[in-house]
Amino acid sequence: MYTYGRKRRAEHMEGIDLQQTFIRSLTELGIPSGAAKAIWMPLPMLLMIIGATVGVLVTVWLERKISAAAQQRIGPEYIGPLGVLAPVADGLKLIFKEDTVPAKSDPLLFTLGPVIVVIPVFLSYLIVPFGQNLVITNVSMGVLLWISLSSVVPIGLLMSGYASNNKYSLLGGLRAAAQSISYEIPLALAVLAVAMMSNSLSTVDIVDQQSGYGILGWNIWRQPIGFLIFWIAALAECERIPFDLPEAEEELVAGYQTEYSGMKFALFYLGSYVNLVLSALLVAVLYLGGWESPIPTSLLANLAGVSETSAWLEIVDAAVGITMTLLKAYFLVFIAILLRWTVPRVRIDQLLDLGWKFLLPVSLVNLLLTAALKIAFPVAFGG
Amino acid sequence: MLKFLKQVGDYAKETVQAAKYIGQGLSVTFDHMQRRPVTVQYPYEKLIPSERFRGRIHFEFDKCIACEVCVRVCPINLPVVDWEMNKTTKKKQLKHYSIDFGVCIFCGNCVEYCPTNCLSMTEEYELSTYDRHELNYDSVALGRLPYKVTDDPMVTPLRELAYLPEGVTEPHGLPDNAQRAGLRPEEILEQEQSKN
Repeated sequence: MYTYGRKRRAEHMEGIDLQQTFIRSLTELGIPSGAAKAIWMPLPMLLMIIGATVGVLVTVWLERKISAAAQQRIGPEYIGPLGVLAPVADGLKLIFKEDTVPAKSDPLLFTLGPVIVVIPVFLSYLIVPFGQNLVITNVSMGVLLWISLSSVVPIGLLMSGYASNNKYSLLGGLRAAAQSISYEIPLALAVLAVAMMSNSLSTVDIVDQQSGYGILGWNIWRQPIGFLIFWIAALAECERIPFDLPEAEEELVAGYQTEYSGMKFALFYLGSYVNLVLSALLVAVLYLGGWESPIPTSLLANLAGVSETSAWLEIVDAAVGITMTLLKAYFLVFIAILLRWTVPRVRIDQLLDLGWKFLLPVSLVNLLLTAALKIAFPVAFGG
Repeated sequence: MLKFLKQVGDYAKETVQAAKYIGQGLSVTFDHMQRRPVTVQYPYEKLIPSERFRGRIHFEFDKCIACEVCVRVCPINLPVVDWEMNKTTKKKQLKHYSIDFGVCIFCGNCVEYCPTNCLSMTEEYELSTYDRHELNYDSVALGRLPYKVTDDPMVTPLRELAYLPEGVTEPHGLPDNAQRAGLRPEEILEQEQSKN
């Protein structure tokens, strides 16, 4: 499996590589290659930030529309066609709102809190691949980078909860920290099982390992338990509804967000939705074959008799890859929204029970099982 | 060892059960997404109030004999009846009449008991004002008739539940000739007449 992926990757190395093309065209214009690289560098980052923000707008709109549908309502309808501009209106309103800092709070920590929450989430988009070369950096420690970045977030939450000078905020911050720390471990263990199968932590390698057999090759068939653990833990990390204790409005007003308004609140809001989309993207990458389509495109191309190296096939391939990744991610977002209107919020003791007494042992067993299967069936489990 | 295995088995069973219940819940939520909303887009669409609707009270000044029955049957003695004895005709002459709709509970007792039928219920329900004193309607304001929803060119009138055919709960896209459940008053009258 693994060697097959490597071979396939080598074949595809010739595929779409915007970076090389861009740098080459700039050097042909007479710009030194170092400067050309420096000019290239900010472009994908900017694109990714814009993409993430647009993704959030889409998610907010979907959340409102799907929630409405689940409750037999219509949802936003008059702000733009089908209400698509509703999240933009939300954002504009938050930008123009007064930015208050409560009395006797710690202004420095209060301002730093949302920043520390948002930056790691956006940074994590570094490792999300949309195609063989459509990734900002193919870090060999990709998933580990994401896990370590996401463990920075609770520090920001704790900071803002503490700095708010509000008991609800402090409680919310403490809960957020407890929740993030307890669910980080099953999350990491679930990822570890996948990493063991693909012999790599790089997201591109993980997708390559699942490629070749279409939908049958996806990790979800080999890691069903890991998939569930990862999804539950990711929902807990995003503080989505069954696990939204840190901002439980019935008990804690809004948790650590209570004292925030204006743009600082918007950062929390943005951060939580970016995190949701990111988690969905990573589930797609780790378990649902990333940019691979359910029926391999190379198979279809062979059937249609198109040469695999033709330029337009590469473009179609890239487009299909991006669409597939986004489709899978938004399907998971849809599931998360549906879950929001299905399950009630768990209690804090139930939450910690689930994390420590259920997910942790199960993920350990899953890891052991994966290791055993890897030794027993190296063909199917990436020996 | 066996006890431990049994514990693990029970735990696994519980987990499967919980997963099953969550799955059932998800399917219910998913099923709700296919049901169409019955939303009335309020300022653009309005329901036609039924005949029994108890809205703002209408008052006909000339019919009133200032008997004050409305005041006595009112749970909070709300209507203000200002009259004077006319010495020549030896009758009460009404000077002012007012009801404060900020306090009225629209129970309809006054309408029920008025001996001259000078009080009646209208279909008006949009009574919002910027000042609560504006809700204290005098005899002139009480004499105004409400604007009908069906006459408003800005509004799409929608039939209320009472006007819908049997089994229909969605007023959107209903054919104009769809008759409501049960017989119409004139049909009942016809039936009674043919019996006699």
